[in-house]
Amino acid sequence: MNDFSELEKELRKLRPAQPSPVLFERVGEALKDRTSASADATSSWWRFKEARHNWWSLGFGLAAAAVLILFAAVTMERRHERQQTVAQSSPAPETQPVPLETERSISPSRFVPAGGTNLVYNARDEGLHFADGSERPVRRVRYNTQQTWRWRNPETGASLRVSYPSEEIVLIPVSGQ
Amino acid sequence: MEPIASHENWRNCFSKVAPGLLLFARQWVQSAADAEDIVQDAFVKFWRRNHDIANRGLLYSAVRSLALDFIRRDARRARREATVLAETEPAIEPHFELEDDTQSALAAAVESLPRDQREVLVLKIWNDLTFSEIAGALGISQNTAASRYRYALTNLKKTLQPQ
Repeated sequence: MNDFSELEKELRKLRPAQPSPVLFERVGEALKDRTSASADATSSWWRFKEARHNWWSLGFGLAAAAVLILFAAVTMERRHERQQTVAQSSPAPETQPVPLETERSISPSRFVPAGGTNLVYNARDEGLHFADGSERPVRRVRYNTQQTWRWRNPETGASLRVSYPSEEIVLIPVSGQ
Repeated sequence: MEPIASHENWRNCFSKVAPGLLLFARQWVQSAADAEDIVQDAFVKFWRRNHDIANRGLLYSAVRSLALDFIRRDARRARREATVLAETEPAIEPHFELEDDTQSALAAAVESLPRDQREVLVLKIWNDLTFSEIAGALGISQNTAASRYRYALTNLKKTLQPQ
């Protein structure tokens, strides 16, 4: 490190540009405002900003949930139809047998979950932040992921894949030193 | 060390840290006015929360995160301005108060450093932060901070060597 002592000395001689006098006035005004109206506004803005990021995750989550509910509804409807068919055909089973395989073949849209992946393709440490109303800093880490869910129809071999990007912000409490 | 927030006159405190803070903020934003907005927000928050000067890394961390937020928020405007600037003579406000050509060359060399090295250099030289404080402010390890600082000085030395 001694090799650099001359260079460090020269660097320290460089004086950063001074702030404008207006900045002092502005900081003074902001600090005077003890009713913290602006702090509330800032907090609201921070809250909104955090919420805005979370909207994406929420939106994609709801979309995924909607797809799952849709499949569940379709599956239940098919089961219900099959039960009705069995119930209707039960009075004359010997004359109109309904083989199970045939039964299955008329339910081509019966998909079963076949797995899912959550690929984190970017994680960015955004440094320390102050959560609203908290004295303790938290470290904010932003994860960008690609979530993929797959369903498969065992009879037809057809598969369905839903893939969507997702952004997750994780706040990790940091203890003071 | 004296607690920063118990200081009756915030002006004394602010006048000591403001130039270094502004220089740090300007690693991300070109405009001095934007940098002043960021520094104001960060300092007011820091002061109101009665943080101790021993934790001044938090102040720099706040400046950094506000600057990054600003960049994200302002990306569209920045692109528009960059297009306009590309067609006109660039008038970038200087980061330093320069006294002679030697200092101009040094300042230019500093500004040509990669950002990750420059931010460590700025915190170390013009803000007198320790590597531990730099590590906390930037969310990196102390070793990384020290090695970035060493790389920055090595690169500066190379740049300033007579051809």
